[in-house]
Order: sequence, then structure tokens, then C-alpha cells
Amino acid sequence: MSLYRLDAMGVTIDGRDLVRGVSLEIAPGECVALAGASGSGKSLTSLTPFGLSAGTITGSAVLEGQDLAGLDEAGLRQARRASVGFVFQQPLTALTPHRSAAQHLTESAMQAGGARPDQRALVAMLEAVGLADPTIKLRRYPHQLSGGERQRLMIACAIAHGPRLLIADEPVSALDAHLRAEIMALLSRLRRETGMGLLLVSHDLASLEHHADRVLVMQGGQVVEAGSASAIAAAPTHDYAKALWAATPSLRSPLPGDLPAPGAPLVEARALSVRFAGSGLFAKPVTAVDAVDLAVHQGEAVALIGGSGSGKSTIGRAIAGLGPVSAGAILWKGAPLPARRTREQRRMIQPVFQDPIASLDPRWRVSDIIAEPLVHLRPDLTSWGRAGLVKKALQMVELDGALADRMPAALSGGQAQRVAIARALVAEPEMLVLDEATSALDPLVAVQIVALLKRLQRDQGIAMLVITHDLALAAQFCHRAAVLDAGRIVEQGPLTQLIAAPQATMTQRLVAAS
Amino acid sequence: MSRIALPAAIVALIALAALVLPMLLPWSHDAIDWDHVRAAPGTAGHWLGTDELGRDRLARLAVATRITLAVALAAALVSMLVGIGWGMIAGWAGGRTDELMMRIVDALYALPFMFIVIVLMVVFGRSILLVFVGIGLVEWLTMARIVRGQVMTLRHRPFVLAAEASGAPVRVILARHILPNIAGVALAYLTLTLPGIIMIESFLSFLGLGVQEPLTSLGILVKEGADDMDVAAMGLLVPGGVMVTLLVCLTLIGERLRDRFA
Repeated sequence: MSLYRLDAMGVTIDGRDLVRGVSLEIAPGECVALAGASGSGKSLTSLTPFGLSAGTITGSAVLEGQDLAGLDEAGLRQARRASVGFVFQQPLTALTPHRSAAQHLTESAMQAGGARPDQRALVAMLEAVGLADPTIKLRRYPHQLSGGERQRLMIACAIAHGPRLLIADEPVSALDAHLRAEIMALLSRLRRETGMGLLLVSHDLASLEHHADRVLVMQGGQVVEAGSASAIAAAPTHDYAKALWAATPSLRSPLPGDLPAPGAPLVEARALSVRFAGSGLFAKPVTAVDAVDLAVHQGEAVALIGGSGSGKSTIGRAIAGLGPVSAGAILWKGAPLPARRTREQRRMIQPVFQDPIASLDPRWRVSDIIAEPLVHLRPDLTSWGRAGLVKKALQMVELDGALADRMPAALSGGQAQRVAIARALVAEPEMLVLDEATSALDPLVAVQIVALLKRLQRDQGIAMLVITHDLALAAQFCHRAAVLDAGRIVEQGPLTQLIAAPQATMTQRLVAAS
Repeated sequence: MSRIALPAAIVALIALAALVLPMLLPWSHDAIDWDHVRAAPGTAGHWLGTDELGRDRLARLAVATRITLAVALAAALVSMLVGIGWGMIAGWAGGRTDELMMRIVDALYALPFMFIVIVLMVVFGRSILLVFVGIGLVEWLTMARIVRGQVMTLRHRPFVLAAEASGAPVRVILARHILPNIAGVALAYLTLTLPGIIMIESFLSFLGLGVQEPLTSLGILVKEGADDMDVAAMGLLVPGGVMVTLLVCLTLIGERLRDRFA
């Protein structure tokens, strides 16, 4: 008998049908995944039947024989309380900041009418989700836990009352790569042990193959392909599903063999350290980057890989001349760069940031945004000359010239990131610092941006420092990689070698997770 | 926009009336009509009657509104300029500079403002200039704090970093990237300081420390009306009503602007 079944379920908001005709069935102990780009309706599909998202449902959603479609607010609350658990994407915002782990767990355990759990029961709950030192962690507040620990606590809360169905909405998207694999493995283990069903929403397709029984690929509010996870992963039939899978970088896809050969050293960081003053009156300074040696050669792409807080962005900013340097030196073609760079020195290294919309001034037109570096770095140009170069830059990033008059708010994420790249390119730099330049984008858009970067690398011979948490992404166009952990480079070398024979523990975990 | 349109229209109407009425009325605000002292509303062309000296109440109301609005606007603009300048420098510089500048703001907050104004009046004599100085001293503080906070969040935004990478000097970044992006919030708080300033000015005038005769302001009219209210209640109710309407409308505009921008 099925645990949860959707029959031609749709979601309507303000008269618009955002999700249409979704049918799925979850048996106890089974995992069904909804995959798709953002805006495809996968979150609505998973949350609206339980009244946790805006909109009303059509069709039927049957949970253990009870149709959720006909229930009022109180009925839905009763259904959620008794038999469903929820895990959300952002564990920090999904946990109440002023309540400790123990308080969270106690509340969750009692929500279905259970008795107040004692200390031993609470410890057991945390042990079940693989949290180390559970007795200590019980007293901690959400902000005192790391990202992975928070998500484990969130899962412990979601299953504390023994739900038969767990809804996980992008449970690992906000986590570092090596944590993703651990959390996914945890969810699979809990599913096996307790026999609960799991409805998983994810755009991390690489992990679905191992952890989901069936996958539904959604596009524009409809299911375009459904089937067993391994079958779809092996041979997707629908075009959109194919594109989605092709857009998911994986280490199994062959490494590119046609990367341009690097030239002489361009930029070198020698024993680079960055320390920040700690917060609070007597806090010790925090060492974000610790004696890092790194070089990028002409025409070479070097990946700087590490989890959040590993100091990778800090290194990128220091090299781009946008952040502090506490010790060590940064050399440009053998000569040290001063703390205050000249125009020419600035022109050579240009940054591209993660959030494309936030990196464009919301009050400037696209053409003015792209022209800005020219105004300051090329004072010799007339406004005519600038306009010509802006046009050329737009062509280089394959953007329609008509976009030049738009405001950033009227751009899509992919267009905005192209504008940001055009701005970085317009003053003809020799190197780009790409700080997670694709990770805020939809997978399908990210793939196009990567293709653009590859082309720039081949045609323009631009060197790149690629800051990322994604080893598989880096493998697509980088020559070498440096793996960071807590501000230190733990391993550095050609990507082929790193992937084939990772030495450091961090690298091994990254390779295993990709 | 519609939520702002109604209170904005009311304020505009009051301001327009205050500007135009004195030109149209046959009476000036300090001319005495000896034949009609304490006239009831409606007599001899005095629509709102005359006060105990025979001056036309409507003409006085128009001029008073004009003065009150002018003082409020001027003081608010001064406080905005100082507050934005101070806040931008502190927020951008950060560190010790920021610490020092914001402690100065805290110290000024702590001063008993009314007491200082009264001391200034006693020492230097009464003048409308001192009213400005007094109001300006307090009102820029909040603006400086707000602007500093905004600048601190903006300065680590990628688009500001990108501008730095593109070689833009600090003054250009402040003027062309930061300022336009805090303009909305600054405008909202500017509108919110107006009622505060009107209250302070009226309070000082009520005490006889603010605007001086023969000029008049809403505060003076309210005081005169209050002295006389058992005989002519309208003398208190009408200027009081205008003042309350202005305060409510300006506060509504400011809060709704703030909801939009902040």
C-alpha cells in the first residue's frame, strides 16, 4: 500500500496554474525525488499539499488514506503533526535562534503527543543522525553549530516524532560538497532503518542516482520525465532532462584534453597571510589565510577549491587588490604589487562575483556598468571609444546589444552574470578572478557560462583564478587546482593528478563527493 | 504609490494654501482691523474672525503654516546634509574613525537638548537662527546613524567591490554608487524628521523661545489660542487642527516610504 500518493495534483496561485498534473506514489521506505531548475514548481509540489506554501491544490494528495485536498487548516496541521517531518534548505534560518538543540528536539518529539523525552532519549536522537559529542551539542544554539551539524539537528527534529513520511526540500543545497554526500547518506540510512518514505526535492542530480529510487524531472510546473533514478541518469529521454543531466558536472565525464598551454608566471602569491581582527573586545585576531603560496601562469586556469570559511574568497580578493594582505607578497610578472595599485596594475586583474544581480549597481544602466572600468582605467578614451569597446565586450559575452539600455533588475541571472563578465573584460585584463561565478546560477545557465569562460580562455588567452567549492566544475576547464582547508593549502597540483590520486584527506573527501 | 498619494496630496494642499492665501487676502498677518476686534468667524470678510488685537486669523494661519513648514524643511535639509556626510564618512572609513565619529554622535544624543537651547536663548538673545542651530544639532544624529548602517552594508556588496576593481576613486564610489542607493532610505527618514522638527519648533514657540512677533508660527497661534480658548475655541482648534493634520500626514508618508525602501 502506498504511503503518499499524488493524483493529477496541481497548484493554483491567484488563478494561475503553477503546477499541473503531477502524479507520484511513495511506498514506505522509498525515496522519490523531484528534480528541476528553480521555478520548475518542485518546491510547490512538495509543500503546498501540506499547507506550507502559498496556493491551493487541485486533484488529490492522499496521505495514508486521507485526502489532504479537502482538509482545512486544522486538519492539515493534524496531518503534519502526526505523520510528516520536514527538512528545509537553510538549516540556520529553519531553526529558532534562541532555542537550544535540546529544546528543538523536545518540542519536535512532543509534537505528535509523545511524552517529554529524557536526556538519554535526546542523546540517542542526536546519535542517530551522526552528531559527534551529543551531550555537549544538546546545549548548543543554532549559531554555535556548523552548517553540517545544523542540518543534522534539523533532520533529528524532523524525525523526532517518528513520521512515516519525510519531506526534504533541497536539504543539501546550502552545504559544502563533502557534507552533501554525508547528509544524503544519512537520509538514506534513516530511511532504511525506520522504513519512512522520503520525498526529496533537489537539483543536485549527481547524488540522486545513488539515493533516490525514482526521479520525476519537472519543467514549467509539469513532470516531463519520470522513471527509476538509474535509468534516467543513464539515458534521459526528454530534451530537458538530457540538458539537466548534461549540465551536472561530474568527475566521470572525461577531462578536457585541449586546454591551451600555459606560459610564464603571471601572478604569484608568496607566503600570503590575511588576518582579521576578531569580533569582541578581547578577541584574538582570526587567521583567514595562512602562508599560502600560489601561482597562476599566462593563459592558465587555476582552481582554488575549499568549503565555506576555508579562506578561498579572501585569497581571491587579496590577489585582485580588493582585500587586505597581512603578510607575504603578491607578485605580478615577478615584480611585487604595492598595497595601493596603480591604474595599470588594477586593469590587469578583474573580478567576477558569485551573485550576479548584487554585483551590478541597481541604479545603473548596463552600458554604464560595463563602461565603468574604462572611465577610470582608460582615461585616454573618448565617449565614442568607450561605446565601441562596450559593444565589443557585449559581443564577446554573446549578449544582444539591445540589452545595453536595460537596468540590472530587468536581466535574468545568466544575462546579469554575462554583463559582470563583460565589465571585467572590457578593460582587456590578463587575468580574471572568478569567485564562485556559477554557483548562484541555475545548472542550465551555469553550463552556458562555463562554455563562455572556456571560449574566453581559448580565444583570448585569459588566465583565470577559479574560486569554487565544486571540484567537478573546476575539472571542466582548469589546468591545476589548490585545495584549501582552514586557510592553508593542503594539496596543489594538476587536476588530473588530484582526481586520480588525491593525497590530502580534504581532497579525498571532495573527490568522493563529486 | 497610492498609499503615499493621499497624505502627500493633503500636505501639498496645505502648503499651497499657505503660499497663496496671503497674496489673495486683503489682510496681512500683522495688520490690525480696529473696527473688528475679536470678530466672530465670517464677519466683515474675516472668514475665521480676528484675534484679540483685531488681526485676521486666516491670514495669520497661512503665514504661520508657511513659517513652520519653511523652518522644518530648512532644518531637515541641513540635518540631512550633515547627517549623510557624517554617516557616509564613518560607514566607509570604518575602524577607529567610525568608532570616534559615532561616539561623538552618542555624546550629542546624551545632551539635554531643550536645556541647551534655552541657555543659548538666554545668552545670545532670542532669534530664529538659534532655533535652527538647536534643531540642527539634534536632528542630524539619527540620519547619521541610519546612513552609516546603510553604507556599511553597501560597501561590501559586490558591485562596490567591482567599482573598486575598476579603479574608481573613493569619492566617485561614494557619489555614484553609494549615494544613489541610500537616497530612498534617506528620503524616507527626511520625511520622518519633518514632524519631529515641527514639534520642536512649535514647542519652542509655545514657550515663547522660538519664532518672534511680528512673525508667527503654528506654535505661537496654538499658544495664543490656548490663552484665549474659553472665549474663542476656534482660535485653538483651527491652528491645532492644521498642525495635527500635517504631523499625521508627514508621518504616514515617511513610514510608507521607509517600508518601501528599507
